[in-house]
Amino acid sequence: MADLQERKLKDAQMRATINQKLVETGERERLKELLRARLIECGWRDQLKAYCKEIVQQKGLEHITVDDLVSEITPRGRSLVPDDVKKELLQRIRTFLAQQSDV
Amino acid sequence: MSFNGCQHLQTYKEATGTTTYRIIYSCFVSCSTADARRRKAELSKCVECKEAKPRLHACLSCIYFGCYDKRHIHAHAQDKKHHIGIDLSYGTIYCFVCEDYVYDSELEEIAKAQRRRATLSLGLKQRFFPWEPTEEELILLRCNPKRRRVTEASHIGLRGLINLGNTCFMNCILQSLAHTPILRDYFMADKHTCQKNDDSQQCLVCEMARLYQEVYSGLRTPYIPYKLLHLVWTNARHLAGYEQQDAHEFLIAALDVLHRHCKEMNGVSDSNPHHCNCIIDRIFTGGLQSDVTCKRCNNVSTTIDPIWDISLDLGPGSIHSSHLIPPAATAAVGDVANSTSFSSAASESTNSPSTGFTNSPGNYEPTSLVECLKRFTKTEHLGNSAKIKCSKCHSYQESTKQLTMKKLPIVACFHLKRFEHSTGYHKKISTFVSFPEELDMTPFMSSSRNHNNGYSSQVIHSTPAPHMSCDNKYSLFAVVNHYGTIESGHYTCYIRSSKEKWFRCEDHLIKRATAGEVLNSEGYLLFYHKQILEYE
Repeated sequence: MADLQERKLKDAQMRATINQKLVETGERERLKELLRARLIECGWRDQLKAYCKEIVQQKGLEHITVDDLVSEITPRGRSLVPDDVKKELLQRIRTFLAQQSDV
Repeated sequence: MSFNGCQHLQTYKEATGTTTYRIIYSCFVSCSTADARRRKAELSKCVECKEAKPRLHACLSCIYFGCYDKRHIHAHAQDKKHHIGIDLSYGTIYCFVCEDYVYDSELEEIAKAQRRRATLSLGLKQRFFPWEPTEEELILLRCNPKRRRVTEASHIGLRGLINLGNTCFMNCILQSLAHTPILRDYFMADKHTCQKNDDSQQCLVCEMARLYQEVYSGLRTPYIPYKLLHLVWTNARHLAGYEQQDAHEFLIAALDVLHRHCKEMNGVSDSNPHHCNCIIDRIFTGGLQSDVTCKRCNNVSTTIDPIWDISLDLGPGSIHSSHLIPPAATAAVGDVANSTSFSSAASESTNSPSTGFTNSPGNYEPTSLVECLKRFTKTEHLGNSAKIKCSKCHSYQESTKQLTMKKLPIVACFHLKRFEHSTGYHKKISTFVSFPEELDMTPFMSSSRNHNNGYSSQVIHSTPAPHMSCDNKYSLFAVVNHYGTIESGHYTCYIRSSKEKWFRCEDHLIKRATAGEVLNSEGYLLFYHKQILEYE
């Protein structure tokens, strides 16, 4: 039990360190830009935009909030990201971490 | 268009101004200094959760960071009556009264400037922005309310071309160009501006633009490209007349004329022909690297030439068209299986490392595009009869030569040399050469050669490393086929109108086709489009 908690804590610390490194070096921005470009290229953005339009039309502009829209499209948005894109991002993050000596 | 956000934002702006927004944006949304990034990494945490969270928002009235998902920022806003906040991931402004993101032109301008500075500081290329209509374009859009959408069922872009008398060689190339995605986008976006206003009837680029308008007009009656034909005739004299012509020759001539007409329009001088920025060069030009290694001192002399297409030999023997040994002489030497030495001097083969790679030259005919490319990029021994003066050891030595791709074009055109014009005989090679729908060019890049330490480079890794990105991947989008003999025949082509939707074009006739049909056809010209484009 104590072990599990300790590990959880360690994981959280690790996550925080990695995140900090990514932000500090600007790598996070680079990855974000790459992801943005890839999602536009593969049509993800257009697909999701069309889906948003559909929802807004269905519910009516007056009856919908940003929060509704976000919670409706998030599952679809996640599932529509192509595996290739995920793989490429993962690879980039791995490469970046391998270059960091102090993580 | 201008936006003014909501009344709450306006009240906020009147009271506080835009400085807070600018500072927060430059420190926590888009940082342009290393210092700011360090601070951002340290401080971007929700005050309540004490953690870095997605959708973190900041209050624009006091110093407070809270996450959106757990509504910590909402609680703060309600508590303190600070109505305006900013999303720290995207820099958008949220109004807690309206419960919505609001947009304000003035603040967006500030954001844009900060983002530009951040991209520059990270050494990123200028960020890609989706198209936004200008004032002028907005007027045009309003005046022309009819929209035409390309849907699953629409036939836009499928229009036959009338044969004007043995002009199928032209029609198949025009169909292929009309369905080259990036070229089509260029012309459909009306990017070509002709400088010779009074003489635009003489500009082939303008005529191509008209072809795109016609092909994508939605009309289904065949189009008659007589003006285009006439322009090609007047600009490429060797194609004039009603004789049968080679589609490949037409393609190269057409690209050449288009390139020339673009150049005239750009006013670029001819002093540097290799650095043209015209649409044809930007799309079709690749860089072919040729490395000649002196066999005595191992000195490598490298040259890079621009190319519009890659011509691949199908017959046995000679590897490159530029090959210096008469193929007939070597073809007679029946040493097929293991010799990696190309020249007729068999004793040399002991010097060159022999690998298990099966593309030994000699009497072997490639049966796939990849095999052709392997042969194309293989080290060849320039034999005894072709000694070259080495620039380092200053003597005439035997050498080896290897071709690789230094720069990949956006559209790669492969020309399978089915028409053989060797000394004394002309014939057509009708061997089936398979080609894939997706092609990875990585093994044929110059960078792959360097990994081998320039060591004879007989080994080309046929299985790419697993971590490889898809940067060098291509998709097939058009295939030109030739039926008949070298003297007389007929050209048709397959084009891809959208993903997995193929059509067969035979002059004025267009029929639906399957990918299998395309891949089993006897390809003559193969057009591949790069899957991923880099932004300039």
